[in-house]
Amino acid sequence: MFINKLIRNALLGLTVVLMSALSDGDVFAGADARALLKESESRHRTKTQQYAGELTVVNKDGKIRKKGWKSFREGYSGDAKNLIRFTDPPEVKGVGFLSLSRPGGQNPDQWLYLPSMKRERRIATQDRDSSFVGTDFNYEDMEEFDHEKYKVALQGEQTVESQPCYIIEAIPFEKSGKSVYEKKILFLRKDNLYLLREDLYRKGDKEPSKRMILSDLQQIDGHWVARRMEMKELKKGSTTTVLLKEIVFDRPQAAGRFTLQNLNREGGD
Amino acid sequence: MTFRFQIRALSSLARLRHLSVLIVRLRRLNPRRLDFIFDLKSELLHLFLLILLLPRPALAQEFSGYAEAKGFAYAERWDSRDSWGLGWGTLFAKLEGKTGDAQLTGSLRGEWITSDEKGALAFDPADRKIRRSPLSVQDFWMRLPLGPSHDLQLGRFQLGWGKTDGYSPADSFLPRDLTDPFSDEKIPLWALRLSGSNGALRYEAVATALTTPWRLPLLGSRNAPLTAEAVPAGTLFKEVESSPPDVGFSALRLLATFGEWDLGVWGRAGVRPAPLLNFRFDQATPAPSGTVIPVERRYAREEAVGVELSRITGSWVLRGEAAALFSRDHDLGNAVIGALSAEKGFGDGTLLITLAGNAIAPPVDATLLFDRAILPALITAWNRTEEWGDWKLVWTAGLKRGDGLLKAEASYNMTDLWKVTLGGELPYGSTEGPFGALDSARRVHIALRRSW
Repeated sequence: MFINKLIRNALLGLTVVLMSALSDGDVFAGADARALLKESESRHRTKTQQYAGELTVVNKDGKIRKKGWKSFREGYSGDAKNLIRFTDPPEVKGVGFLSLSRPGGQNPDQWLYLPSMKRERRIATQDRDSSFVGTDFNYEDMEEFDHEKYKVALQGEQTVESQPCYIIEAIPFEKSGKSVYEKKILFLRKDNLYLLREDLYRKGDKEPSKRMILSDLQQIDGHWVARRMEMKELKKGSTTTVLLKEIVFDRPQAAGRFTLQNLNREGGD
Repeated sequence: MTFRFQIRALSSLARLRHLSVLIVRLRRLNPRRLDFIFDLKSELLHLFLLILLLPRPALAQEFSGYAEAKGFAYAERWDSRDSWGLGWGTLFAKLEGKTGDAQLTGSLRGEWITSDEKGALAFDPADRKIRRSPLSVQDFWMRLPLGPSHDLQLGRFQLGWGKTDGYSPADSFLPRDLTDPFSDEKIPLWALRLSGSNGALRYEAVATALTTPWRLPLLGSRNAPLTAEAVPAGTLFKEVESSPPDVGFSALRLLATFGEWDLGVWGRAGVRPAPLLNFRFDQATPAPSGTVIPVERRYAREEAVGVELSRITGSWVLRGEAAALFSRDHDLGNAVIGALSAEKGFGDGTLLITLAGNAIAPPVDATLLFDRAILPALITAWNRTEEWGDWKLVWTAGLKRGDGLLKAEASYNMTDLWKVTLGGELPYGSTEGPFGALDSARRVHIALRRSW
């Protein structure tokens, strides 16, 4: 089983390399969407990531709310564990969010800790379109994109923010647990396969319901990272922008950080 | 939670006899037990101070808090002593720090209340006095990691125990402050808590060396009206400061997560913090405004075991809790309390519906038993965070006497730090019920809060 998977991945890698060798400067011309997404994951996978996020939520009337959080991740994509702890403003300080991936591409287990209740609250799978602590992200948006949970297809190419990009359509597999979205359109930068934009379609919507834009790409510790993440609720007209600061990759995370015990630690990270 | 008090002269006399017996028993037992308790407290204090003195890395601190001014306007007055309005000012400051892996937290609350509900400025670190002191310690605790997934917490902190926010038999034994009968405020405990996890299994063990009693509103006021058939109008109730027992309770809880299921079991033993009231008609004295009747309190021991089960079903989280409570006290008796709840998220909000009841009829009027007073009840709570702030609606329907309570509150965030809140509480229905009896406490309120 493992050998088969290894051979399959090696062949896939070889295909990608051959394609890039035969192409005329266009690194992945003719590549299929799955291969591109696998290669993207393999390039950008890090063991851990942590950062301090400065959030600005602007509603349709232009009213601005600021929030702050600390984010910790171990693993990546389909095997990721995430912990987010709000640091600002006082009304949400201490609120914690834990997301643990489940095997077989199922939706992750998610919990929210509310300091006022001194206990965690489990997030139901179909509750994942709820706004995440007053931001334009919902609980599903807090997961990292895992291409194995989607049927993917290359749709073409387009320039986004002056960068040539592959356009990939991703439709969630029903067996992977219910998704909030009917489909996602991903814009992968051609030169480094970094995700620059994601158009998110809720069920029944012909136009994108939400749009996530990643910008201000920098290399930190040898890894590409977008230091600015913007989520727009296109129908509501509101936007949440996250500025990533104090970014650190591959630092070993404290043992037990991604546990319910830690989530319930008042004043803890 | 709200309560209505009824006086029954005969049961009070019976209680008086029980109290006498209890006092005699305690006098017999006290010397050695008290020595042990004082020794234990002293040892814990020494341990706490020793830990504070251990050499540790520099302390990283965070300071937070709020100042709030709140005003209440009442629809009517219960008697001539009550005013139409009430002012409540709060200043809360919290200091959190980390030294190495240890977490230290301390907080202080200063208050100013315009009514007689405010107590005298007194040193009451464990909230054992009848009225709340204008100055109180809300947090004073340290958490020490005993391993990556095991913690020891000691000091004064608030405990969240049950799984259900609406009504939980596991939470209801924790002391409440009913100075504001509608606020459902938990009182922190001086305790030692050991908690941890191993894979899908979690545990939590708590021991408190001291009883922190429920704090009741002024007896005979609009917040605790007394309907006394045998007592003439103008009677005053003089609450006697009594010393709650020096032993507290201990409890153990085990939790496990299996896929969509969460299972928990718990047990508890010790002194029940809700008092049993003794109306001392035998000590009634005449006064210019009427008769004055002293009211004493006593505290029963109780053992309890409980089970809780929850499961995610589609977009709902369904929970069931059941608890069996045992007491040899004649006025308290046994209870089998169950709660079923269903919770669903809507946007950035939650709808929670809880049905709770007691399968055993209590030996005295349930309204005298505080945490069991509202049972059976259907509680519907809906709260939601909006772009502009948040709101909540709570409807508690008493199923026995047809009374209930409607609560509504909306907060507007003027900035990230300033918030204004408008709300109201509307008890309704039969005055025989715990909510209906509070019809004179119908009110609206406005609050302005500045956080930092």
